[in-house]
Amino acid sequence: MDLRFTEQQEILKKSARDFLTKECPKAKVRELEHDAKGYDPVLWQKMADLGWLGFNIPEEYEGMGYSFEDLAVHVEEVGRNILPGPYLSTVVNTFAIVEAGTDEIKKELLSKISYGKCILTLAWLEENGQFDAAGITLKAAHKGNDFVLNGTKMFVDGAHVADYMIVVARTKESANHEDGVTLFVVDAKASGVKSTVIPTIAHDHLCEVVFKDVTAPAKNVLGKVDKGWETLQMIIRKGSILKAAESLGGLQSVVEMTVAYSKERVQYDRPIGAFQALQHKMADMWIAMGTSKYLLYEAAWMESNGIPNAKEASMTKAYINEAYKLVAALGVKLHGGIGTSYDHDAPLFFRRAKAADTVFGSTDYHRELVAQHIGLK
Amino acid sequence: MDFKLTDAQKAHRDEVFKVCAELDKKKPKTWVGFESQFDDEVGWAFHKLCAKEFAKRGWLALGWPKEYGGIGDMMDKVLFQEARGYYDLPGADIFGVAMLAPTLLAAGSEELKRELLPKIANAEWMFCELWSEPNAGSDLAGLTATAIRKGDEFIVNGQKTWSTGAHFADWAFGVYKSDPNAKKHHNMTFILSDMKSPGITVKSIPYMSGSHVYNEVYLDDVRMSAKYIVGQENEGWAVVNVLAGFERSNLDMVYGLVRGIEELVEFCNETKRNGRPLSQDPIVRNRIADVSSSLEAVRCLAYRVADQQNRNEMGLMDAAAVKIFASELMEKYGHLAADILGPYGQVKNSPWAKMGGTVEYTYQGCFVPIVSMGTNEIQRNIIAWYGLGLPRMK
Repeated sequence: MDLRFTEQQEILKKSARDFLTKECPKAKVRELEHDAKGYDPVLWQKMADLGWLGFNIPEEYEGMGYSFEDLAVHVEEVGRNILPGPYLSTVVNTFAIVEAGTDEIKKELLSKISYGKCILTLAWLEENGQFDAAGITLKAAHKGNDFVLNGTKMFVDGAHVADYMIVVARTKESANHEDGVTLFVVDAKASGVKSTVIPTIAHDHLCEVVFKDVTAPAKNVLGKVDKGWETLQMIIRKGSILKAAESLGGLQSVVEMTVAYSKERVQYDRPIGAFQALQHKMADMWIAMGTSKYLLYEAAWMESNGIPNAKEASMTKAYINEAYKLVAALGVKLHGGIGTSYDHDAPLFFRRAKAADTVFGSTDYHRELVAQHIGLK
Repeated sequence: MDFKLTDAQKAHRDEVFKVCAELDKKKPKTWVGFESQFDDEVGWAFHKLCAKEFAKRGWLALGWPKEYGGIGDMMDKVLFQEARGYYDLPGADIFGVAMLAPTLLAAGSEELKRELLPKIANAEWMFCELWSEPNAGSDLAGLTATAIRKGDEFIVNGQKTWSTGAHFADWAFGVYKSDPNAKKHHNMTFILSDMKSPGITVKSIPYMSGSHVYNEVYLDDVRMSAKYIVGQENEGWAVVNVLAGFERSNLDMVYGLVRGIEELVEFCNETKRNGRPLSQDPIVRNRIADVSSSLEAVRCLAYRVADQQNRNEMGLMDAAAVKIFASELMEKYGHLAADILGPYGQVKNSPWAKMGGTVEYTYQGCFVPIVSMGTNEIQRNIIAWYGLGLPRMK
């Protein structure tokens, strides 16, 4: 056992921090919230040049081939700064292409993704707001060798700027809802696809996507027809760990920012950080951070080493969802009035913490999965 | 990052779990939880039985330097803690094995180490602490019990309190004001003493559950030999800090909860309410999963503490975080389990009890770890002052 970062991980952390501090200051984050695209294509290209889009792409497809654990450490650092745009969506969905895509699709997309020329996202949730298999109703009907998609997806990250979407569709009605789910790689700019940005708490450009007679060729099926639920579980599992890593980064920023402010802000002739009423809240924030960290690292380490970790991944997402929201709210409160203003960073993290909690499954959804894993019948 | 155990560690883990599982079967019927060891003669006898079994295998000296009879490393000690915690076993004296031994190793004279460490490792002497006083709890430096030097001895007078297990202990470690004229923090001495010494009176302070854990200890002209000073005379405060700051991963507490959750899951699977198993109630599922996830989080952080210990790094903040979080999680578990048991949540160990009465025990027993070893409020101060660098209260 050795729970320290490797030398390579320390380098990854530092380079991500230095890059984003310089290239993506908070003023830019706020500016991009109200930008039509919601991300900066110039910044995206610089990220690709650094290899960020190819971390989890095998070297034979022009990627870096880093381990999942390294990726998680990197994403934690990204979350510390906040990076607007569909970066995490692209990275997570790349796993689906790598692990379940046909050779043809891999050749077509992976090097493009790695070079920053292709944005990916996941079209999973629907108007019913459910995370389980019963919530998948968007129809994909057989038409010769192809499929025709009709229906609506909701909360699709950056669909309006994406190149391809992984669409979770129903190809068969079945008593077992998990049977009959199929994943398709769909051209996000194809005719019949209409993406509209939904106003959300973090202005993070989640979209409603309406599919009207959209054709998906058989080569674009990820994995097997009707058996896509399993691949989706892999996406959710990896996505949950990485989203939690991003949240953990944000959480750490809030702790540091709040502690620093409490040492500067003077009231009653002393820094407010000298008051135990505040000290104990900050200690609780610190505890939330410590407990989140090693839960995340364990789940990421297991994922990296091929150790079954569905339980740990769900625990991580459920736990860090709540830890981040708690810490972010305390961050606002401990800053007092200034902490409630739009131009302050505290609410920026607070709004992101809310946005993060339903991505790849809400707290309650993951707790239900945990309940199953710990043997509640 | 690597969470993996080596093959040798896995083998050690299997062995400690096996031995502890056997001892678990020998638990007295009256046993409800860790403090049962102090409650009566039966509990204490079981504590001694476990201690002898562990001592025989060298497990009370895990992680000690070889020259003092130590075997294995800190990680082996951690795995032993897990097994004991999981089976809720006594046998590793919390004062002798967990606190005094590492303090002696860090601050004791060669002579004391040679004399006392074997007694601790062989479970010959059980210790208690003479520490808090009626008017010196969290603010221990305000203590008033005096130890006045007279030749090779100290004459000790005063009152100590919250002394866990003093009614059974063979020896005690304590701290006393030894120089009334010296400056604060340079006026006290850390001394070990025989609990059978004339002038010592032990009086029970019943815990809220009615069980006998804590004691008042009255010291009336008690003679303590200067040979048993740990550290330097009048510099006992430094030893107090070594001992109090002694890294504890608290994995025993964490693993007690691991088993608690397993038993609760089993109970919910087997118990029907409103026509269906409790395990199918979505609220029950959600709440157990919540506690279970928090438990995994603190388990991982406790490993982080152990990993730091193993490299002789100080992890004071993480250790404080684990102590706070695990003890408050025990409280949360106690409330959850009591809620799920409904009217049975209040039933003591008896033919009417569910889950062996452990829930009623935990519901109020959780305050022991919450307020002892530095209250959780003091632990939060430690995190704020030393971890976050916030200004210290004057």
